Amino acid sequence: MPLSAYLIVSAILFTVGVVGVLIRRNPLIIFMSIELMLNAVNLSFVAISNSLDSADGQMFVFLVLTVAAAEVVVGLAIIVSIFRTRRNIDVDDMNLLRG
Amino acid sequence: MTGVQLSFYVLAVASVASALGVITFKNAVHSALSLILTLLFLALFYLQLGAMFIAIVQILIYAGAIMVLFLFVVTMLASEASDSELADRIPWQRWVAGILGLVLVGALSYLLFTGTAIDSSAKATGANSLAHVVATQGNTEAFGLALFHGFAFPFEVTSLLIIVAILGAMVLGRKA
Repeated sequence: MPLSAYLIVSAILFTVGVVGVLIRRNPLIIFMSIELMLNAVNLSFVAISNSLDSADGQMFVFLVLTVAAAEVVVGLAIIVSIFRTRRNIDVDDMNLLRG
Repeated sequence: MTGVQLSFYVLAVASVASALGVITFKNAVHSALSLILTLLFLALFYLQLGAMFIAIVQILIYAGAIMVLFLFVVTMLASEASDSELADRIPWQRWVAGILGLVLVGALSYLLFTGTAIDSSAKATGANSLAHVVATQGNTEAFGLALFHGFAFPFEVTSLLIIVAILGAMVLGRKA
């Protein structure tokens, strides 16, 4: 398959993630959409790595994976602590910086 | 149509469909399961592209560890986790988001089709090429050689990032 085919799939998945962030109000699903965007970019990294016959793209995927894991840990901890203080996790209601 | 093409189209349709499931399911647990499915399809894409180590790591770390963490939190907040039926604060938000999404995917596809091709001099050749290293050393060995020769410093910085993330989670999870 040509490189552009993989990049198109990656672009579509990225757009689905962007639309998910825009239309959902549950922070957990917004988080999942962000993960979807990270994975879409990973797909294009691997495709370009394959096309250039170099392992560098796979290194970036590895680093993105680590950053995603760290991001999920901290983000879910924030969501849980918001839930503990407010008993409600609708993003439209989170309009204050102080608890 | 060759086998590679057939598997590409099947995987492309399946991954986009399960990605749409993530953003359309009302129940957050269903969204999480749909995301796991998307991640598994992406792992198959990586296998197709010859990135075996990345495919396995994707299944173990992403679909395994990260998504289990997600499911823990989703089920913990289950009563609140299903998307509220509250009226939208901005009623036209969905339509605008859909139109903007179409604009984004159109612009990206336009750029991919009309943009300049990757310079062929950027392509690795001879003993440096990934195919050559994979053929002589093996797949995971090729990954390890590239990681610890060219990317040793970013790899070490990664450990700092993980320490900071653990500390952050501990501080946030402390009994306030």
